[in-house]
Amino acid sequence: MNRPPSATRYNQRIPHMRARTFSGRGLGWLSSFMLVTVFLPSFLSASPLSDTARQLAHKIAAASGPGAFALEFTNRSSLDEKSAREVRGALEAQLHVEGVHIAKPEQATGLVEVVLSESLRNYVWTAVIAIGSDEKKVALVSLPRPPTGAAVAPVMPIAVKTALLFAQEQPMLDVALVEMPGGLRLIVLGSDAVSIYDRQGASPSGNSIGRWELETSLPITHARPFPRDLRGRLLQRRDHLFDVYLPGIVCHSTPNAVAPLNLACSETDDPWPLTPDDSVRAFYASTRNFFTGALSPGIGKISNVPSFYAAAAFQRTNYTLWAFAAVDGSLHLVDGVTDQAIRGASLKWGSDLAAVRSNCGAGTQLVVSESDDTAHETLRDIGHDSLLAFEIPDRDPVAVSAAAEFDGQITALWPDSAGNGATAVVRKKDTGWYEAYRVSLTCGN
Amino acid sequence: MRPIAYLLLAAISLLGAVAAETRPHYGGTLRVMLQSAPSALDLPANATPAEYWDLSRTLSLIGNTLVRIDAQGRPQPALAVAWQSDASASHWQFTLRRGVKFHDGSAASPAAIAQILGALHSGWNVRAVADSITIESAPPLPSLLAELALPRNLALKRNANGAPPVGTGPFLVAEWQPSQFLKLAANEESWEGRPFVDAVEIEFGKAQRDQAIALELGKTDVIEEAPQSASGSQPHSTSSVSLPTELLALVFPVNSRANDPRLREALALAINRKPIQSVLLKGAGEPAASILPNWMTGFSAVFSAQANAQEARILLADSHQPAPNLTCELSYDPRDPQAQLIAERIALNAREVGITVQVSLSGAEDIRLVRVVLPSPDPATSLGEAARQLGLPQPAFSATAGGDTLEDLYQTERSLLEAHAVIPLFHLPVATAEGARVRDWSPERRGQWSASRLSLADFWLSDLRSTASRADLPGQAGSR
Repeated sequence: MNRPPSATRYNQRIPHMRARTFSGRGLGWLSSFMLVTVFLPSFLSASPLSDTARQLAHKIAAASGPGAFALEFTNRSSLDEKSAREVRGALEAQLHVEGVHIAKPEQATGLVEVVLSESLRNYVWTAVIAIGSDEKKVALVSLPRPPTGAAVAPVMPIAVKTALLFAQEQPMLDVALVEMPGGLRLIVLGSDAVSIYDRQGASPSGNSIGRWELETSLPITHARPFPRDLRGRLLQRRDHLFDVYLPGIVCHSTPNAVAPLNLACSETDDPWPLTPDDSVRAFYASTRNFFTGALSPGIGKISNVPSFYAAAAFQRTNYTLWAFAAVDGSLHLVDGVTDQAIRGASLKWGSDLAAVRSNCGAGTQLVVSESDDTAHETLRDIGHDSLLAFEIPDRDPVAVSAAAEFDGQITALWPDSAGNGATAVVRKKDTGWYEAYRVSLTCGN
Repeated sequence: MRPIAYLLLAAISLLGAVAAETRPHYGGTLRVMLQSAPSALDLPANATPAEYWDLSRTLSLIGNTLVRIDAQGRPQPALAVAWQSDASASHWQFTLRRGVKFHDGSAASPAAIAQILGALHSGWNVRAVADSITIESAPPLPSLLAELALPRNLALKRNANGAPPVGTGPFLVAEWQPSQFLKLAANEESWEGRPFVDAVEIEFGKAQRDQAIALELGKTDVIEEAPQSASGSQPHSTSSVSLPTELLALVFPVNSRANDPRLREALALAINRKPIQSVLLKGAGEPAASILPNWMTGFSAVFSAQANAQEARILLADSHQPAPNLTCELSYDPRDPQAQLIAERIALNAREVGITVQVSLSGAEDIRLVRVVLPSPDPATSLGEAARQLGLPQPAFSATAGGDTLEDLYQTERSLLEAHAVIPLFHLPVATAEGARVRDWSPERRGQWSASRLSLADFWLSDLRSTASRADLPGQAGSR
């Protein structure tokens, strides 16, 4: 939900400035000396905030000329107090260098009112310079605001463990880590391309994980429009690097031995694999966001289930149990003979699920998305989805983990090719960026 | 499985599905109520703010613009997938998206789009060239992308006989009763993907009070709210308040008898905006002395909105126009529920410094209390549009495609204000409220309903069972 801008905030007076205000001439000299010798070197270090503060000081000095000025400094922007102090420090230091001395109002020949503000995209800092009764002069500077992303969601210490893999502004449908000649690569499936990233700056000791840099981007062309809630699947293959499944489209990469890597796409309604070994496939509705329910081949005697968003398989002693998150909100458990539907208030699951092998508890758990539905009912903030792990000991799901909450909506959840983890893509509530997480389960909690 | 477990499952299954789905559902009809009662699906140049919001929101569901502006104020592809301009911003080229069709099945070809835009802007030379259109203009168009993103530039085909417009957007017109009712159906062929809901039903001409009651009774899903009421006080709805996108201001018509700049400046200094904001606007909006709100420019603090009665009296003493001898007639829009009270409060402030202001809806007006829409996040575009609505001269910016510099924008706004033809009072937001079954949607921060990933076409309904159609409501049966 959108909210009005936050209330105006004013900085606390800065201790060393307060000392200046109440000091006499001797102390004023001393504090000026301290300012130049102690604070100036740090402010001179390259920082966009400090650089821009110095630009503003330069403009103020050009408008005011040298002399003694009172300074009023107000932070009405989203800059935190530490940053505002940095700006003020750099501003005062540069003003001092340019011959503008900060003085008490009764000793000043003019007043400089500095306001740190911001627009939609930029920090905007204004200075109104008043000298005597003359017309006021205005100085303006700006610098781009960084995205207002909050810190990465903390790793949950209990059972569901999440680790941030990658973040970008454009939607991500699926992500995979792949060993390729030359090292590890991150493959990102977007709506119009598969992008491959190489890790740069990683140290062999593992002390530095480095950062991902785009190596190549393979475009995906399609004639038919994609549905709005676009979903896609990235599957690693043994005989070639990967396949891509999108609504109405299947793409195959060239074998990884062939350079350069290419992607061959064709429009087809072929069923999507539900498991890494392709043992069961399901047809995807090319203009919607769900599987139609038609299976190929079927699970035992059952070849049709209700339309569903996601499916997961558990290996039992004598059979495989399948769980389907149906479009109508129910959970269907299919063992090859029966199709058992579970509905009701006790089942507050989301639309996505994935089987993850943990080798603890029952060995394999179901990781399930869950929306903050109660928030909607109580008018609290919505859009904080979470992941929970469940087991189905006797066809009745039992939660075995605490919720790992994300600061946004889970837009994708797919099991990885090895089956011991999953990939979750989250659209951040505050920035709208997409973050891909590797999800795994840990024991002993 | 043990028999008791099957019994338990069977019992649970009878409770009905109350799952917390995270993925959008398809289906259902969204019901919307709006204030204005337009006789045509067209956005008139002299639209009131209420008409502007209602029609621009509605038309944006039917049509698309060449580009759109995202939440960060950056241009993004829509019908155009790429664009470029020359250094002077006089010549622009837009590469159009392939395969897009109008709702009537005809291709949204460069020729068709060029014809629509050319008809909207006689001063532009719009031509179709291969898979692109070019736009040329003698005065440079540095803010063309922001201009093209405005609802008035939606690519809509219109018929001379008053039939509803035909667009390329996510919904097509299924039924239109002028001034009363519009039914939109999902466009299965939408290039952005089919909307999640099957239909949108919009009832026009509903007073805000009636809208609030209907929302509380579950007879509608989305309504407009007064910003001062948007506190989420209703138990089963969520309110959304935009960034300030309207300006409430006093404007002096050309033939105003209050023509001495010092008298006007004294009036500006006499107005105490804080009590008006806290009492009459119930905290909504921001006191303003600038045309553009701070979120657009970042420098509104430079223009002081502080009242200063003492300085006002000094200015009056120097005025060529002795204030006691002049009674200024202040008019307002009677359709604006707050306007009369605000006008009377301004008159009171004016009298306190010695300016006689009479609030009146008849006779020659010297001052007009107006509310104007600031339609674009691009400050240059909004400043130009505000100037047009306020009757001020069009601002002149430097002609570069990279946008106007901060200094240039500041100087331009300042020069508009220094003419003392307008006294900005408040920047006001717009508000909407949606019922509990509307999911994944909140209006974008600028009040529109069509931004990328925030469109009405992107929301979905969590409960498809309890949709009472308009024909089922009391007093509506047989109306269509």
